[in-house]
Amino acid sequence: MDTQWPRWEVFKQDTPHKPHQAVGSVHAADPQHALLTARNIFARRPQAVSMWVVRADDIFSRTKEELAADPVNMESEKTAALRPYVVFRKTSHRRSMTFVDYVGEVSARSPEEALKQARAKFTDVEALAWWIVPADRLTKSDPSNETIESWFAPAKEKTYKQQQYYATVGSHVSKHKTGREDTDEA
Amino acid sequence: MAVKYGIPTDPDYTERLAEFEARIQRGEKIEPGDWMPEEYRRQLIRMISQHAHSEVVGMLPEGAWITRAPTLKRKMILIAKVQDEAGHGQYLYHAAETLGVSREAMLEALLSGKAKYSSIFNYPTLTWADIGTIGWLVDGAAIKNQTMLAACSYGPYSRAMVRICAEETFHHKQGKEMVLLYAKGTPKQRQMAQDAINRWWWPALMMMGPHDADSPNTEILTRWGIKTKSNDTVRQEFINEHAPEILEAGLTLPDPDLRYDPQSGNWIHGPINWDEFWQVVKGNGPMNKERLAARRKAHQEGAWVREALEAYAAKQQKTALAV
Amino acid sequence: MRHEIKQALIAKLTALADDEVILSHRNSEWTGHGPILEEDIALANIAQDELGHATVWFGLRKELDGSDPDQLAFFRDAGEYRSAELLELPKGDWAFTMLRQFLFDLYETLWLEAAKHSSYQPLADAANKILREERFHLQHTYAWVERLGLGTEESNRRLQEALEFQWGYAQQLFVPTPGEDLLVAEGMVPDLGAIKAQWLEHSSKHLQNSGLKLPINPGYQPTSRTHHTEHLWSILAEMQSTARWDTEAKVW
Repeated sequence: MDTQWPRWEVFKQDTPHKPHQAVGSVHAADPQHALLTARNIFARRPQAVSMWVVRADDIFSRTKEELAADPVNMESEKTAALRPYVVFRKTSHRRSMTFVDYVGEVSARSPEEALKQARAKFTDVEALAWWIVPADRLTKSDPSNETIESWFAPAKEKTYKQQQYYATVGSHVSKHKTGREDTDEA
Repeated sequence: MAVKYGIPTDPDYTERLAEFEARIQRGEKIEPGDWMPEEYRRQLIRMISQHAHSEVVGMLPEGAWITRAPTLKRKMILIAKVQDEAGHGQYLYHAAETLGVSREAMLEALLSGKAKYSSIFNYPTLTWADIGTIGWLVDGAAIKNQTMLAACSYGPYSRAMVRICAEETFHHKQGKEMVLLYAKGTPKQRQMAQDAINRWWWPALMMMGPHDADSPNTEILTRWGIKTKSNDTVRQEFINEHAPEILEAGLTLPDPDLRYDPQSGNWIHGPINWDEFWQVVKGNGPMNKERLAARRKAHQEGAWVREALEAYAAKQQKTALAV
Repeated sequence: MRHEIKQALIAKLTALADDEVILSHRNSEWTGHGPILEEDIALANIAQDELGHATVWFGLRKELDGSDPDQLAFFRDAGEYRSAELLELPKGDWAFTMLRQFLFDLYETLWLEAAKHSSYQPLADAANKILREERFHLQHTYAWVERLGLGTEESNRRLQEALEFQWGYAQQLFVPTPGEDLLVAEGMVPDLGAIKAQWLEHSSKHLQNSGLKLPINPGYQPTSRTHHTEHLWSILAEMQSTARWDTEAKVW
């Protein structure tokens, strides 16, 4: 029996001044469990002040390459209601732990229309990939101080997970040749 | 999202392939949704899922010693390390899932014995010093591999590797710290450390895979930016870093032929027992059956838990709709 | 500090620490064997935090009598341990572990919220610090009790069985340690009677909302932390085996 349950993409905000960034995904059956799980998977180390989760199925994604090969067909249904969409964007091929960053919101009648608006609105940098998410499909961690203190702050004290905590140095071949003692870095 | 995995019989395959390879040459990342050859996808699923399985199975040899850690601090550190390994498996399953394979399918492949995982984890952990030795040698080898893979062309795999690399350094260092301590410790600790090195050195060298000549996938993996260094190159880097450190610690290595060559700056090692390697890969290593049995048991015994979560979620959704 | 107060405080801190050491040990047995990868990670987080808490409580004891935390943890015999029996019970299935964790996390959270106001500053500070992590633990296990209780017939049955087994043991969490009444009089620790009332109220409500029935007859209720289950000897035999294997060793 297949007990596979939905995948949720996770966004983490490192500090109040940085945007939410896509860090990976978790499997969970419901939004609350997804948030709790996201904290355990992605906030084991600092920094974090906020997390969002959304079902992978609710994300409308397009890469630059995809758009070039197959432009988004925009037949907007005038009968559909306007809803807010949250927009995420990747702008660099540089090596990174995170994928797309939060860039803003648009109001549209469909994900395709939202993407069109996003491309028209967020033009400061070339986008390599877009994620469009209906705002009401995002589940957010509680922003209160008490939650931040209990969900995210404790990780800062777990210094034993940081490599600087271990006072050993890599010994170089040259060190070995001169016959010097292996000394621990203070 | 339309799935676009190109196969050689596609009319535009040659053209697409050329552009794909050019993108990789330019240092661009291939992201989910981009055109890619089916072969690229297949190789990545194989590599990433095996890597994920290795992390998860790798929890077992070290996890076994959590209950016997000798101090509160070491216990906490070991739990954190094994937790990280679960986390790394998690990041990697996620990366593989972006290629259209489900975690359930990958687990099925592992538990049925079809999928492989790093054979280093088919060796037993016999003493507490094994824990330090695994951190130093096994994670040391893993870091070499992971650092290389962090540059890989497939976005999700690259990102998982960057995150893993950042977390793995502490694994390596805490292991090294332990072995260095025991090498200078009581007679029992020194003997324990030496015994662990004796047992783990060769399996660690084999972690980097067969000699280049016996590695069939290397060419295409290199062309497509998945693998950027050969097995032997990585192995040599590993020995050059670790051999002198182990010797400096006052320990010996179980390789009578090991010597330093001043011309090349390399440590030349003796012949690797590839028979042992292939036996373990085939499933005849000391712990193969036990590792898989443990994972199968965990999965089977967890079925009712996963079902409960699904049932709860379904009821929640029903209630939400009814409101 | 008066001698009797000091002794009473040492006894209390030891009990607090021992609870964390033993529970963390039981939780860590799940590492690599959890029902879902993500839950392996979640429980490992709880186990780590608990060891951290044990270290904090032992640290407070060290300030009073100079005792070394590792010596206490790894070289005391079962008869000297002051852990509550609930925590010594084998981990059982996932329902057993999650229920025990919920009952304990709820007790600890309520106790810490009150202990924040301790007249003994080191304890107040410790409580503040530990409470942050406990809040998250409680959210996690609270969610699990709900999901297992309201999930399938099987998960409900397993959770109910766990509750039948554990309810009597859980009452021991509210039995004072020797001299604790002196500490309460000094305002150094909260009164366990008051904590128990809150715990009964909150746990009953959540358990019932999660589709469980409170046991009519709680069964065996331990009355002293000098008594232990059969399991403690074996737990310690394994836990202390490496440390005791080389008693000459100064550092690990």
